[in-house]
Amino acid sequence: MQQSRRALALVVLSWLVATVALTGGAASAETASSPAEARTVRVGTEGTYPPFTFHDPDTDELTGFDIEVIRAVADEAGWDLEFVEAPFDSIFPALDAGRVDVIANQITINPEREARYLFSAPYTYSRGVIVTAAGNDDVRTLDDIDGLVAAESETSNWAQVARDAGAEIRVVDQFAQAAELLVQGRVDVVVNDNIAVLDYLASTGSDEIEIVGDAGEDVGQQALTFRQDSPELQQEADDALARLADDGTLAGISEDYFGADVTIEDAAEVKDVTGSDTRSTPEVVRGAAWPMLKGLLVYTLPLTAASFAIGLVLALVTALARMSSNRLVQLPARVYISAIRGTPLLVQLFIAFYGLGQIGLTIPPVPAAMLALSLNVGGYAAEIIRGAILSVPRGQYEAATTIGMRYPQLMRRIVLPQAARIAVPPLSNTLLSLIKDTSLASVILVPELLRQAINAASPSADFMPLYLFAALYYWIVCFIVAQAQEPLERRLGRYVA
Amino acid sequence: MSTTPLIEVRGLRKAFDDHVVLKGVDLSADDGTATALIGPSGSGKTTILRSLNVLEVPDSGTVRIADATIDFGDTSVDRSTRRDEVDALRSHSGMVFQSHHLFPHKTVLQNLLEGPVQVQGREVEEATADARRLLEQVGLDGREDQYPSQLSGGQQQRVGIARALALNPKVVLLDEPTSALDPELVGEVLAVVRDLATSGWTLVIVTHEIRFARDVADQVLFLDEGVIAERGGADVLHDPQHERTKQFLRRVLEPG
Repeated sequence: MQQSRRALALVVLSWLVATVALTGGAASAETASSPAEARTVRVGTEGTYPPFTFHDPDTDELTGFDIEVIRAVADEAGWDLEFVEAPFDSIFPALDAGRVDVIANQITINPEREARYLFSAPYTYSRGVIVTAAGNDDVRTLDDIDGLVAAESETSNWAQVARDAGAEIRVVDQFAQAAELLVQGRVDVVVNDNIAVLDYLASTGSDEIEIVGDAGEDVGQQALTFRQDSPELQQEADDALARLADDGTLAGISEDYFGADVTIEDAAEVKDVTGSDTRSTPEVVRGAAWPMLKGLLVYTLPLTAASFAIGLVLALVTALARMSSNRLVQLPARVYISAIRGTPLLVQLFIAFYGLGQIGLTIPPVPAAMLALSLNVGGYAAEIIRGAILSVPRGQYEAATTIGMRYPQLMRRIVLPQAARIAVPPLSNTLLSLIKDTSLASVILVPELLRQAINAASPSADFMPLYLFAALYYWIVCFIVAQAQEPLERRLGRYVA
Repeated sequence: MSTTPLIEVRGLRKAFDDHVVLKGVDLSADDGTATALIGPSGSGKTTILRSLNVLEVPDSGTVRIADATIDFGDTSVDRSTRRDEVDALRSHSGMVFQSHHLFPHKTVLQNLLEGPVQVQGREVEEATADARRLLEQVGLDGREDQYPSQLSGGQQQRVGIARALALNPKVVLLDEPTSALDPELVGEVLAVVRDLATSGWTLVIVTHEIRFARDVADQVLFLDEGVIAERGGADVLHDPQHERTKQFLRRVLEPG
């Protein structure tokens, strides 16, 4: 049928439009090859691992020892830096996928990593420590953690150390979460960097956990990490680090942060860590309120609005295709709906961001989130819209036909306006879900509301008040949106007696 | 008077799966006449009516209204040409449904304007003036801005009739226009239809209202099992020749 051929063309066209629109900003900034001119180097870092990489509680600026080191290196090497913040376990995939060019995040050199990546000269010499809940007298050395449960970032060196020692790993995103699990008694031990633990203790004033011993004899060496295809970046970083060591800059940064120089072998013992965030809980929440609101206004709401709008268009096209009598039009719609409803949104986000990135379709975080979220909305809303269209009586089609309407006009003027009224309540549900589902975008580097709460929680460990505050923001937005549903329903249904 | 009828149907056949509904129907109707299709349910009268505007697609046969003809048996016609043919045929008729099928999300006036303005592209002001005249004609002036749900069944059906007339068609097709109405509302609708017949509209009516058909129809076609068993003027209903017609009339005229 010509009708369905047109519907097919429409489906294909809207997919193309959506894809082009969403990937338009995808052109990844490839680094220029000439070292003479300033080049943009993207730095992968957690932003939640004080005192190495975290947000300054007062200014919300990204800072920390590693951040200052890479900034100094960039000054020397003539790089323009662009920071990309991601949970630790996302950082190596981001480097692999070409989303970042270097990692500055206390990456410990180990044989496995050396086989896959290039390292600069070390800029930190630190040791690992074993942390337990206060009063645990059973654990002193790595030998003692065999069979215990440890909280670590999956891909971290410390996870490897704990695993090698026989511990069972529970995966967390950041050190503050690991420490919290320890405080709550959900895990037995945490192995981490000496300095990070001291910073946590100083920040929180906690006496519920304590360092009970060293994690092995070896001193760990931490360095900037590059892909194997960027030896020239590595070379420039090494040259810069050598100059920064010679002129005392590195030692200065270390003294500022730790009161000791940890940038040389045989580093002095670090004892005097002041803590990255020593504010009281109300101060923390007050400080986080604005960044969280900004995350809501700049990312959560626009992401919701755009994804919902694109998703509705996709849904309408999909619903019409799904109802086509032409199997070739119907089948893609069926497969699409089934795939979207049959897979977790989180997986869809990972595919859109990391998956596509790996096959050369590097989409920036926000468009990637928009892509996955709109496709998700499209799949769900398609069935809602289809159901609503099916609820319009056959007689309406016949009446419209007898006054001379063809399919497009009949749909637009007669069927869809009636279907809209039916579809509003379930679509409102979809919208409310979407508002909250945008929080999943926090795992693909979108600095939205939840990510801001996570960032604020990492130096302060004030999980409860911060997450409650984030929940309140979501609730308020959803409340307002839900208020709009009733007037809209009334307006669309004003003809119903 | 012209010798060419306005409506001409030849050899109309239609089957739903194995069930043959029309077994070769011929009929014609002159301009300005009222034709009543009567017969027991399942006899195919509604299918004939719906074939006249291709709500049902006949398997074979030709349908002509004025200058628009479709030969349904001719399979060599490509889709796009056939769609144009269908549009042309439909443009000559307006349809009144058993259960009105008014657009519930549009006001009475909007229901009347939808065809003339959106499809035929007429000027809104001019079409509105015409629509108001039609509403007056069916006794619904003052109801322009109400929604169908605010009207009684009889009023709704009268709007349905006005909507069909608003297209300014050559033929008005009425499919049992009073069957879905409460008995006390039938009269007002029949009065409107009678008015149409006397004012020169060409009507084709499927109806069970035999007395009404007798009063109004210039031509009566009695359908039985997919064929026209008897045809003639309204007098057919007074003096049927065929046994099936007699049985049917006895049944519907002497209930109980």
